Amino acid sequence: MDDLQAALLLALQAILSGILVGGVYGVLSIGLSLAFGVMRIVNFAHGELVMYGMYAGVIASKSFGIDPLFILPVSFVVMALIGSAQYQLVFKHFVGHATLQQLLAAIGCALVLQMIAQIIFGADTRTATSFFSGQYVIFGPFFLSMPQIVAFAVAVVATLLVELLLHTTTWGKAVRAVADDMETAKLVGVNASFINIGAFALSAGLAGLAGSVLVTYFPTYPSVGFSLMPIIIIATTIGGLGSIGGTFLGGICCGIIQQMTAMLWNSALQDVPLYVLLMLFIAFRPTGFFGLRSE
Amino acid sequence: MEAALPESARGGVAKPSSEADARRRRAFIYGLIAFLLVASLPFLPVNNYIIAAVVRALIFISLGQAWNVVAGIGGLLSLGHGVFLGIGCYTTGILFNQYGIPPWLGVWVGAVLSLLVALVMGSMTLRMRGVFFALATVAASLAMVQISRHFVDLTGGADGLALKFFGNSWWAAQSRTPAPFLYASLAFVTLYYWITRWILNSKLGLEMQAVRDDEVAAAAAGVAVFRTKMLGLLVSAAMTALAAGLYMQFYMAIDPEAAFGLSQAIQLQLPALIGGLGTAWGPIIGGAVMIFLSEVTNWGGTKIGVSGVDILVYGLMLLVVVLYAPKGIVGSVLRNAMKGADR
Repeated sequence: MDDLQAALLLALQAILSGILVGGVYGVLSIGLSLAFGVMRIVNFAHGELVMYGMYAGVIASKSFGIDPLFILPVSFVVMALIGSAQYQLVFKHFVGHATLQQLLAAIGCALVLQMIAQIIFGADTRTATSFFSGQYVIFGPFFLSMPQIVAFAVAVVATLLVELLLHTTTWGKAVRAVADDMETAKLVGVNASFINIGAFALSAGLAGLAGSVLVTYFPTYPSVGFSLMPIIIIATTIGGLGSIGGTFLGGICCGIIQQMTAMLWNSALQDVPLYVLLMLFIAFRPTGFFGLRSE
Repeated sequence: MEAALPESARGGVAKPSSEADARRRRAFIYGLIAFLLVASLPFLPVNNYIIAAVVRALIFISLGQAWNVVAGIGGLLSLGHGVFLGIGCYTTGILFNQYGIPPWLGVWVGAVLSLLVALVMGSMTLRMRGVFFALATVAASLAMVQISRHFVDLTGGADGLALKFFGNSWWAAQSRTPAPFLYASLAFVTLYYWITRWILNSKLGLEMQAVRDDEVAAAAAGVAVFRTKMLGLLVSAAMTALAAGLYMQFYMAIDPEAAFGLSQAIQLQLPALIGGLGTAWGPIIGGAVMIFLSEVTNWGGTKIGVSGVDILVYGLMLLVVVLYAPKGIVGSVLRNAMKGADR
């Protein structure tokens, strides 16, 4: 009976850490989901934008002694600018069609951004320290990492702000109109290219912000984007490409499944069930739980 | 062989030939010159470093030719061909190291295993559309990275697997000098060129192109869409796994990232993408350009003390090709020269 109790406690612990980690996966992914929802662009370089956000946190913490949490607005603005440049240079040509060429162009962007980071920051793994680094909260029989709790809180706030922006402002309404039907939105006087660049900047800014939060407990290196990208894609697909809230929940699902696998089975294989889940979702429900229709 | 020769050459009588025939003949002659030039490299005063670079180019060309079958002719952007490369490499290596089975046999076992995996992967993913298919194949190869890291006894884990070295040995298909690999890889590229040409002109190839260009129209015209895609994937998987045997013998080592990683999957595609998707000459020209540029930039990068410049160049090449020359070198730059030359 003790064994069962221990296993149950372990499972509950896994679920709690999974929710915390998953919230951050959620905020990592909503940018990708937004870009797909509005422009039908699968930005394979989204992970690279996150990576630059992580390096921003490292630089703030190591060179200036500023807590990465204080530079969130800076990361957001800088990455939004880089994202707009990326949109103007590359993705502008692919708006409206999630084509293979678009995916290849995004992969090209990812490689270029990754190697620029390697040239600037070097190939080593870097970490950032925050007020909360190394602190734990003991909650009944459970241990929760303080940086993860803070990151989760930031993730929830950021997601709510984005939802608020999309549902209460005129700009947000225009964005949703373009996402729904770009041609009709243009007919009723929405400046679609203006909306697109704004939405893409928001998507990139969210990636930068998420990166600066993530780096408080996850080390960064130039190819970290490629390591995060699978989770980002899986969270977005499960939750539904194009749905912000759905994607956030998708991230939490991913976190729980990953932590359960790691704690109850094998941490080296923690992502394998997620890949299987992705295959199943793509095969049987490509729109995810809350996604847009696929065409 | 005879398809490349113009009608006039076959009969031995010089009939007045059309412009397309002349271009076809010219393409054949250029190909022959390139073949002879590469084959005579060991007899020319060039060092082993250059020969090894040419072998690398030829290996990536053959892998690109294999990918070109499914992606170029069939229009399925597989980002998971690392799976077949890795299975080919690991199977050959494990059978040799642990059971003493020579690569001459091992590579066929790898090809059969790849076919089985392609059958499973294909039945799960081939009904998906464009981008979703690509994402599903990414998931498959990334799952393989973790799985191959996990089974340390079999695969050597994250450190990878190194072949036991026997020096110059026919039995082990190993050599201290790159020259034997030059001939092996040249044979692969030539064989794969003819296979690509044969597929392009076969019923299967025509059906694959029809499905690529318009799936609904192809189905309406009586093409069995799923079966056609599956056949293309199987041919491509077997070709990749066989070329992987050569890859393993030349590099002598494999690790999870080199086999199944995303960067490797991207490198496999570059020859065909740069050269021209769905053409027989595309991967050959693209692979040569790709390895040449990466060697030059890596050399330049070491001079100024920066590593990884080749990946930067790959990324830029990918962007330039997709944005400005979506048909690749053969389709965009050499468009006029290669018109009617069966590409």
